[in-house]
Amino acid sequence: MTQRFLSHADLAALVAAHKRVIAPVRAKDDARQTDYLPIQALADAALGAALPRRSLKEYFLPPTEVLLSYRQTKEGVEIKEVPTQAQPQVILFASPCDAAALEVVDKVMDWQYRDELWFGRREATTIVGLLCSSMDSSCFCSAIGLGPDSPRGSDVLLTPVEGGYLAQVITPKGEALLAHCAATEASAAAVAQAETARKQAREKVENNAPAIPNEFGAWLEENFDHPAWKTMALRCHGCGACASVCPTCHCFDIVDEHDSSEEGVRRRNWDSCQTAKFTLQASGYNPRQSQSERFRQRIQHKFSIYPKRFGEILCTGCGRCCRVCAGGMNLPEILGGLIALAKKDQGESGQ
Amino acid sequence: MKELQELAAKLLADGAVQVVLGYEEGPRGVRPAFITDPAQAGRLVFDARCVQNLATYLNPRRKHIVQLGKPAVVVKGCDARAIAGLVRERQIARASVVVIAMRCGGVLQRAEENAALSSETTAARCAGCDAREPKLYDYILGELPPDPPVNASRAEKIALLEKMTPAQRKSFWDEELSRCIRCHACREACPMCFCVQCTAERALPQWIDPSPTLHANRAWQMMRVLHQAGRCVDCLECERACPEDIPLGLFARYIAGAVETRFGYKACDDPAVPAPLGVFSTEDGEEFIR
Repeated sequence: MTQRFLSHADLAALVAAHKRVIAPVRAKDDARQTDYLPIQALADAALGAALPRRSLKEYFLPPTEVLLSYRQTKEGVEIKEVPTQAQPQVILFASPCDAAALEVVDKVMDWQYRDELWFGRREATTIVGLLCSSMDSSCFCSAIGLGPDSPRGSDVLLTPVEGGYLAQVITPKGEALLAHCAATEASAAAVAQAETARKQAREKVENNAPAIPNEFGAWLEENFDHPAWKTMALRCHGCGACASVCPTCHCFDIVDEHDSSEEGVRRRNWDSCQTAKFTLQASGYNPRQSQSERFRQRIQHKFSIYPKRFGEILCTGCGRCCRVCAGGMNLPEILGGLIALAKKDQGESGQ
Repeated sequence: MKELQELAAKLLADGAVQVVLGYEEGPRGVRPAFITDPAQAGRLVFDARCVQNLATYLNPRRKHIVQLGKPAVVVKGCDARAIAGLVRERQIARASVVVIAMRCGGVLQRAEENAALSSETTAARCAGCDAREPKLYDYILGELPPDPPVNASRAEKIALLEKMTPAQRKSFWDEELSRCIRCHACREACPMCFCVQCTAERALPQWIDPSPTLHANRAWQMMRVLHQAGRCVDCLECERACPEDIPLGLFARYIAGAVETRFGYKACDDPAVPAPLGVFSTEDGEEFIR
C-alpha cells in the first residue's frame, strides 16, 4: 500500500476533473444531517458532519430501476433490455462502513447469477473513503471487525492531516485515480499524524458493542426457536425503515408495469423482510405470521445465513437502523443480549 | 413518575392487565416499553421526550402484541385520540384496554433530544393543543403543566402552502414525494392504518403501481392522506418512521384543516363522536354536485 499526501487544492482539482462526483452534502431540510449527493466542487462537500442519512446503496441498487421494456406484437413479445454499462463516477469521502458494505453485497450479487446492473455500476465507480469522524453511540463497526479507518471497499482511503490528506492507495483503480493528480510522497510526520488520528477514531467506537464471536452464527441457527425471539421485537413497527437505510440490505422485488395493454416495463424495487407482504404467498398463507418472526429473519440473515453462505456478516455496524427506528429498536443492544445468551449456553455446556 | 410506576405495578400484580405499554429510557432517548413483570415497573418514565404514540401498538394487526394479553397503555391527550379512533371504527373494544392518561405540558420534537422546551425544541404539533388534559382514560395522572412554548414552524409552512398557486403547491409536493421509496413505513407505524389488505398492495386490479416513480408516489400518498381525512390524530408516527424524512404530517394537517373547515370536525378523544368519513349525514354540503 503506497501512501501519498494530497493538499486541499489537489483534491479540489481532482473533483473538478471528474464529471460525476458524489459526496456527503448538508441536507436541505435539516442542517444537522448530510446526504450523499452529486457535487460540482470540493467546497460543496460537508466534512466532519454526521454520517449521511442514507448509505451508498442507492448509487448501485436504486430504489427502483427498469430491467427491460416489452411490447406485445402479433408475432410475439419484443423485449428490449437496458444497457448494463454505467457512467464513470467517483464517490468522495465515503464512510468506511458504507464502502465496506459494497464489497459484502458483491458476494450475493455474484452468487448464482452475476447481477450485471450492480457490477456495471461497481466497475464504473471509484471510491475514495475517509477516516470516519462522525461516529455516535449507535456505531458498532469495530464489533463487526471493521473500524473507522477500515480500507475495505475503498480504492483510496483518506485521513485528514495538516494541510490536506494522507492518501492510502488500496487498489489499481485508486492508483489510476491519483495518477493525474499532483499528490506527493507523504512525509514521515504526515504518516505519524494519520496513525494517531486513526487510533483516536478507533478508540471512540470500540467500546460501543462487544465483538461478534465466531460461533455466534451457528448459535443463532441452533436457536431458531429460542423463546427470546418472541419478546425481542415488541416495539418494532415492522415498517422496514431499517432495511431502507441499511447499506447491506439488498432484497428486491420484481414487478411488471403496463403502460398500455401491449407495452410495459419490468422493474425491480427495494423490498424488505420486515413487512408482512414479503413472505405472503398466493394462497393467502404467510409463513412469517408476526413481527417477532420477521425480526428474527433480519438477525438470522445478517448474522447467520449470510455468514454461512458467504463468510461475511451482512452488517457493517453503521448504526443507521438504530437512528432511523421510530420504535427505538437498537441493534448493538440486541446483539449484546443475544451474545450474552450464547455465552451462557456455552458456559453451561462446558461444565 | 412514581405514581405511574406504582399504578403499573399494581395493575400487573392484580392481574387487571398482562402488559403495560409505557415509556422507558433507551440507548437513544426515551422509547416504548412493554412491562409484563410488576418488578420491572420502575423502568417507566414520563417526560417531554415521550413523543411516541403508544396507542399505535393497540392496532389489532400487531399480532405479537395481542398475544401478550390485556394491555394498559400510557397516553398523552393526542395519543388518546388514536384509542378513540380505534374504538370508533370498531377495531378494539373500549373495555379491552386500560388507559393511563398523563396530563401533558408538550413534548420535544425528538425522543433522543434532551433539551428544555422552547419555541425551537417543542414539537410544532403541540402548538394550540386542546388535549393536554385527556378526557378518555381509566386513570389520569400528574398535575396539568403550563402551556408549552409555541413552535410556529408548521403553522408558517401551512400558511405558505395556502398562499401558493396550485402549480407551486404541486411542485413543492413533487419535490418531497419524489424521494418516497414506497417502503410504506408510514403506514406500518400509523395507529389508524389497520386495513388487513392495503389498496397499495392489491395486485388484481392494481390500483397503484408498486414502484417508487413520481406518479405512483403521488397516487400512494394522496390515497393515504385522503383515507386519513378526519381520522389522522396528528401523532406523526408516519413522519418519524419515514426513512426519507418526507414531511407527511404537513400533508395530513393540510387535509385536516380542510375537514375542519367543511365539516366542523377535528379528531377528538371521544369515541361517541362520529368522524365525517364514517357517518352519513343529510346535513353535509353538496354544492359540488351540479
